[in-house]
Amino acid sequence: MKKKMIAALLTAAMAVTSLSGVAVSAADNSTDEKVEMADASDVDGTTITFWHSMGGVNGEAIDTLVKKFNDENEYGITVDAQYQGEYDDSLNKLKSAQIGNMGADLVQVYEIGTRFMIDSGWIVPMQEMIDADGYDVSEIEPNLAAYYTIDNKLYSMPFNSSTPIMYYNKDMFDKAGITEIPDSLEAIGNVGQDLLDKGGAGEVMSLGIYGWFFEQFIGKQGLQYANNGNGREDAATAVAFDENGAAKNILTAWKDLNDKGFAPVVGKGGDAGLADFSAGKAAITLGSTASLKQILQDVNGKFEVGTAYFPKIKSSDEGGVSIGGASLWALNNNDPKKLRATWEFVKFLISPESQAYWNAQTGYFPVTVKAQDEDVFKENVKKYPQFETAIDQLHDSSADYVGALLSVFPEARATVESEIESMLNGKEDVDTAVKNMSDSINKSIEEYNLVNE
Amino acid sequence: MENNVKRKIAPYLYLVPCMLIFGIFLFYPFIKTIYLSLYKTNKMGQAKLYVGLENYKDLLQSASFINSLKVTLIFVVIVVLGGMLLGLIAAVLCNKAFPGIRFFSTSYALPMAIASSSAAMIFQIMLHPAVGIVNKLLGLDINWLNDPNTALICVAVLTAWLNSGINFLYFSAGLGNIDETIYERASVDGATGVQQFFSLTLPGLSPIMFYTLVVNIIQAFQSFGQIKILTEGGPNESTNVIVYSIYRDAFFNYRFGSAAAQSVILFVIIMIITLIMFRIEKKGVNY
Amino acid sequence: MTQINDSVALAVGDMSREELLELKKTMNAKALAKRRSRTALRITANVVFAVLILLPLLYAISIALMPSNELFTTELNLFPKNPTFSNFVNAFRTVPLLKFILNSFIMAGCITIGQIITCSLAAFAFSFLEFKGKGILFMVVMATMMVPGEATIISNYLTVSSWGMLDTYQVLIVPYLTSAMGIFLFRQFYMTFPISLYESAKLDGCGNLRFIVKILLPLTKSAIGAMAVYTFINAWNMYMWPLLVTGSNNMRTVQIGISMLDSVDSQSITLMIAGVVMIIIPSISIFIIGQKQLIRGMFSGAVKG
Repeated sequence: MKKKMIAALLTAAMAVTSLSGVAVSAADNSTDEKVEMADASDVDGTTITFWHSMGGVNGEAIDTLVKKFNDENEYGITVDAQYQGEYDDSLNKLKSAQIGNMGADLVQVYEIGTRFMIDSGWIVPMQEMIDADGYDVSEIEPNLAAYYTIDNKLYSMPFNSSTPIMYYNKDMFDKAGITEIPDSLEAIGNVGQDLLDKGGAGEVMSLGIYGWFFEQFIGKQGLQYANNGNGREDAATAVAFDENGAAKNILTAWKDLNDKGFAPVVGKGGDAGLADFSAGKAAITLGSTASLKQILQDVNGKFEVGTAYFPKIKSSDEGGVSIGGASLWALNNNDPKKLRATWEFVKFLISPESQAYWNAQTGYFPVTVKAQDEDVFKENVKKYPQFETAIDQLHDSSADYVGALLSVFPEARATVESEIESMLNGKEDVDTAVKNMSDSINKSIEEYNLVNE
Repeated sequence: MENNVKRKIAPYLYLVPCMLIFGIFLFYPFIKTIYLSLYKTNKMGQAKLYVGLENYKDLLQSASFINSLKVTLIFVVIVVLGGMLLGLIAAVLCNKAFPGIRFFSTSYALPMAIASSSAAMIFQIMLHPAVGIVNKLLGLDINWLNDPNTALICVAVLTAWLNSGINFLYFSAGLGNIDETIYERASVDGATGVQQFFSLTLPGLSPIMFYTLVVNIIQAFQSFGQIKILTEGGPNESTNVIVYSIYRDAFFNYRFGSAAAQSVILFVIIMIITLIMFRIEKKGVNY
Repeated sequence: MTQINDSVALAVGDMSREELLELKKTMNAKALAKRRSRTALRITANVVFAVLILLPLLYAISIALMPSNELFTTELNLFPKNPTFSNFVNAFRTVPLLKFILNSFIMAGCITIGQIITCSLAAFAFSFLEFKGKGILFMVVMATMMVPGEATIISNYLTVSSWGMLDTYQVLIVPYLTSAMGIFLFRQFYMTFPISLYESAKLDGCGNLRFIVKILLPLTKSAIGAMAVYTFINAWNMYMWPLLVTGSNNMRTVQIGISMLDSVDSQSITLMIAGVVMIIIPSISIFIIGQKQLIRGMFSGAVKG
């Protein structure tokens, strides 16, 4: 009898909750109405919540910036910054919180979550606040803003942007007598043997299997990842890297290096290749600019670290890099005061002074152009001249090569990584890998579009 | 009359606290999960398209899921056997008092004090092909976590190591429960140490061994943290146990319907195994 | 021994008193030597096994004491060449580790006590009492162990947030106040007691609760000890649930604390391992304290009698 009662109660409870679930989703359809921002003088005493995923050294830098803002802002705004785990965990928490209407006011989301956020209906595009406040958009580094802009509308504010570069062991290159730094995978293949024989390298390149690198290789060929203008003119319905040959070129070159023994499998993810490099085993590795400081610390003067542009596939390619990292999104809580407070905080974070500090502490790219005039910035570059490479590379890339937007990007990246892994482990050849990648990602896109408007 | 009613209700009263918690935090969400498994869900996890058993059909036909089943099974076997063996050896080694026993018994149980994520971070560095000590000590050059042939074993050994601590405790408690006098009598009758172990110790341990076996199996099926950190289900899905696949589908691919279906299948599998174990208990366990 | 006794009995008639005493001395010495060598063997086996089990931990401590550049070398580096406490200092500076440790302690402690209470009550009912549906209810309880955590976590989050309980100690504790594992363990232990124990207590006029508290619980100290330690440590190690339901540094627990030491794009491994080592220390301490109870329970002899 007790069991029956429990069962009845549970069914009732479940029915109630499913109904309320429907109610919530109905209320979420107010996406495109313009949201009002309160006047700056009205927000005294407002507290906003800021969710971020910065731990370690980066987290300390954020805490310093937040404290500074709380102490010094003249509007009486208080910011409550909370670490919410890695980007994946934070985004999941956001989803659950939004269902229950208790998310944050400002949230940091990784670049591959951009399409998801735009489609979510939860946000207030940065452009609206820029327009309402008369902020000069040209102050923002154009190549960074381009990633988060669609149809001339800036949706989120770039905050911690990184670009990919090539790190190399100068001592080994000198010993091998190589004077011209390779600018493509093809070129690396040509100098590989010398590095091993004469340079004293245990490994030519420790290349982590990272989806981001794959995307950069596509951009470096001047080609596109997805259709519909790389997912920017309209939501992408399929990938484009199979038909335009980009993927085949990448995988062929990668496999070639692997077959020659120059680029063995070292693991998945952006950090996988760093240990071999810092230990003085690998002559070359690819990584984010934000890793520069940690690499220098781990190398500790064992050898001289050089940096160069991220390699193309063939030296004859023409293209550019796109960015990685994350951006800041303002969430719509139907509160004009909180919105204004959020906007003032964002302006503070991207001010030249804050960005120069942020860059010096973390190695992320300064978002504001004027930050490069700050003394803090200039001293940092003097101390770490390797950072110049990143600046030059970004300025040399045109906004045409800004990356793709894809609703299922996290899954797509994981698929790409596992297919490359299969190929390198000898389980499939290049064409099969490319086909599997595109089939799988296309299927995910279809399924996603089926159940989500 | 009153006393009779009181006596009939009394047993249930003892169960109220635990059933209440189970009801709210386990039964209810799980029923919701079963409900969700019959739908295709949108990115927020809300049911959108009723598809009946299609999620289940797709799963049972997908090579990836069948692989997950296989991987999970192998994983569970290694973890349970390894963990219980380590725990049993440690418990037997500490069965008789000897100088320093306190120190050793503390050491053997230590692995249980470590979170799976912490242990995974340590093992990740230990197993690194270039800078990790495993390769250095053994003089090998194997890329443990990135070679599809060795990755699963590494993760399973880590989990077995983590479990060895608590297994040691259970077995020690069980060994302590065995009456010492039966050993003396057996000695008088001329039984050797080995004979004593197999015919006296093991059967005496059977209730606790049964418990440990069931608990280890159920826990092994739900191991997650270490896989997330060490291999993320790879390489080539060689460590893609069902629980990890559920996490991926739900939180990464935004496919709650499919993840819910996998949860239900996992639940059914564990339940079947446990039922089988309880049948065996009736036959083999001596109280 | 029996054979020796036999031969001694045969020879005794032929020996004088002094020779008998000599024989006894040598036999005792032999037995002592045998026992000593057995103990030495036992100790050696223990040392080897212990090193094997402890290796990861010892290595972790070693890394935590290394400056970060020492880790990245292809030479064998079991021990730090320039040991430093800087990793620990940095870890403490980067996150408010002490507050996190306190929070985890409170959470894990309450969960442990709660579970001991609810589980022993339930297990008592399952082992000593007869009632309708006992078998089915026990199966239902066991079934809860098999529900994967991922299946329930989001739904539970929505439940507790609709109750407005987020970011408190209660929300960390309440969903875990009982566990099928505990009920199962206690039930197994209670089953080893003869039913006569309970019946004779009842005959003496002992109520159920008094029976549990005065007779049952003291007899199962070792099981309670094992389960308490296990539960405490499991609660200490929780990650996903505290991540979801707490946000402020005030309520954060320790496992999230060390993930805060990891910064994407500039991972410092030595810093992270230092954090890992630091949060292992409290759980190991609890464990060592709990162990004393355990050993006392184990070596105080058999439960029966």
